[in-house]
Amino acid sequence: MTRWGMVIDLEKCTGCQACTTACQMENARLPGEMWQDVLFYSEGEYPSGKLSWLPRPCMHCENPSCVAVCPTRATYKTEDGVVLIDWERCIGCKYCMIACPYGVRFYAEEKQKTQPDIRKVFPAKGDKVWDPPYKMPEHMQNPKWGVGIQPKNVVSKCTFCYHRVSQAPKGTVDLNPDDPKLRPYTPACVVTCAPSARYFGDLDNPSSEVRQLIATKRGTRLLDQTGNRPQVYYLAGEAPAIPETRSVRSGRKA
Amino acid sequence: MTATAMDRSPAPLLAYDAKPDPISALLMLLGAAGAGLGLAFVFYALLVDGHAAFNTSSDMAWGSPIAFYLFFLLTSSGLSIVASLDTVFGLRVFHPVAKRCVWMSIVALVAGFSVLALEIGRPFRMLWALPVGMQFHSPMWWMGVFYSLDLALLCAKFWLMHTRRWHAPGTHGLSVLSFVISILAPGTLGLVFGMMAMRPAWYSPIMPMYFILTGFVGALAFVLFFTAVLPNQRRKPNEALFDVLLPRLFFVSLLAVIGMRFGQIVTTLWSNYEGMEAHWLSLDSALFKIEILVGLALPALLTATNGMRANRALVMLAGFAYLIGNFFGRLELLINGQKVPLFKGYWAGYVDYWPSLTEWMLVPAGIGIYLFLYGAGEWLLRLAEAEPRQGRTS
Ligand code: SF4
Ligand code: SF4
Repeated sequence: MTRWGMVIDLEKCTGCQACTTACQMENARLPGEMWQDVLFYSEGEYPSGKLSWLPRPCMHCENPSCVAVCPTRATYKTEDGVVLIDWERCIGCKYCMIACPYGVRFYAEEKQKTQPDIRKVFPAKGDKVWDPPYKMPEHMQNPKWGVGIQPKNVVSKCTFCYHRVSQAPKGTVDLNPDDPKLRPYTPACVVTCAPSARYFGDLDNPSSEVRQLIATKRGTRLLDQTGNRPQVYYLAGEAPAIPETRSVRSGRKA
Repeated sequence: MTATAMDRSPAPLLAYDAKPDPISALLMLLGAAGAGLGLAFVFYALLVDGHAAFNTSSDMAWGSPIAFYLFFLLTSSGLSIVASLDTVFGLRVFHPVAKRCVWMSIVALVAGFSVLALEIGRPFRMLWALPVGMQFHSPMWWMGVFYSLDLALLCAKFWLMHTRRWHAPGTHGLSVLSFVISILAPGTLGLVFGMMAMRPAWYSPIMPMYFILTGFVGALAFVLFFTAVLPNQRRKPNEALFDVLLPRLFFVSLLAVIGMRFGQIVTTLWSNYEGMEAHWLSLDSALFKIEILVGLALPALLTATNGMRANRALVMLAGFAYLIGNFFGRLELLINGQKVPLFKGYWAGYVDYWPSLTEWMLVPAGIGIYLFLYGAGEWLLRLAEAEPRQGRTS
């Protein structure tokens, strides 16, 4: 069975946020609701300051704590290794948002950080959060996967573009956007990444490109101490550390 | 039903004919006003803005409504434990407050559930999605199981007391079961937070015990507060309980909470672990100061000596202060676990949160529901009733 996973090469990533934008457009997210985000880290001060960044989708963990805490099983893991939310089952208790160590989950019913409130500019009829002018065709939306325009009062997160990936021809090992035949099945962030820093494929297949990269370029999972075992791996190249592993707390005055 | 129970059965289920005494009337009036105002405000805000009327966000997912709901649910379990001191452990001295405590426990649960229903995204979906989900791994699922059982058992227990079947076959067994659940329910609520290793500021095996204990002291504070307003002739027969034993038990249990909290503070401040700095940040917050000074130090000082504990006004004030501090302390706990955002980069900073007006309006709503139902119970349900002594078989 396929087990989809992603590799992100931090040596190639320019922190341009094109992936973030592509994800927002593909999945019609609200401003600030970053299913995919690029996190920034700054250390030190001028002239020796350093800026680094880290693209962050949902890690689609092997042992997802969000699935374990979800009292209704609205959050679940598919057979092909993707963690999804069934919007028709979620009760909006937000426990999954508490339990995800990677901070990738969102609840749309909050004060909007940007004005005007875009939900009021494009109001939806019925139970949906909003009705944006751009959105994926109706037949591709699937609330059981947490894909499409979401209903109110449920939690949402990155789906690895399951509406695309799940349609890939059986036996596909690498979803390489350079192949025009496979591009429609490849996650939007992978397709759009200009320096091709993202790779997507079957983690269980030893010949897949993602497996090769993880093996030969020391693929690293983030916050491995949580035991969640992300299915998104990072390549740090010669860098001494992945920025996230640096402490964010300031030195305490003794 | 046993023969002895039947002998003394003819008591009306509801004392409709009696006029409510002034205290019950006042409680119901205050309760109706608070609940009416609070609920109207919150419903209107939810209708207009949905849950965006709350200041919670994707970074501070659980806010004041959860703190408030913790306050009620944990106190409810504490009240059930106080009742069990008599009904399970046979400490007869607590008998005069047993029935009242069971009613207060039910009412606190109802108030807590009402607040939860207003907080949760889709409360009605819970009714089928929780039983269908059967997610044994989730402490929240177990919480749902235990609190549902808790409510059912408390109602059954109250029904048996109210129909004067204190010693019908099975009553003791039911009381024991209800007691066990009133430990498991707040314990599981403790696990909801205490199990979250990814939230180091909460992660602690002590959390269930801490919840049970603080709920127990909250229950004693409730009892002290609400029995202090009883008319003198109702307190008189049980002065030893009201003026000596309960205040003393309150003081001793409060010392246990203070010890536990002190241990927590020292451990969390010592740790360098990522996320624990939330506790340093909270030292400066008003919530922390209220929790410690008003909620722990003040009630301990007010009940420190036998003389002070015999002073009804001081004891009532101590109970009230503990409840205030406890409420704000729960809010502080909620914030501490989420203050340091998970995985948002340096630029995100710490999460700022203060409840919105709509959230604050849950306070009169919840307390109003509690006061109204408690006052109604006081009026209609013979809460001061004790089992006739001659009827005891053991
Ligand atoms: S990153 Fe978070 S939301 Fe995604 S699978 Fe892991 S625990 Fe769940
Ligand atoms: S908010 Fe929804 S998906 Fe998250 S734990 Fe609750 S029911 Fe599950």
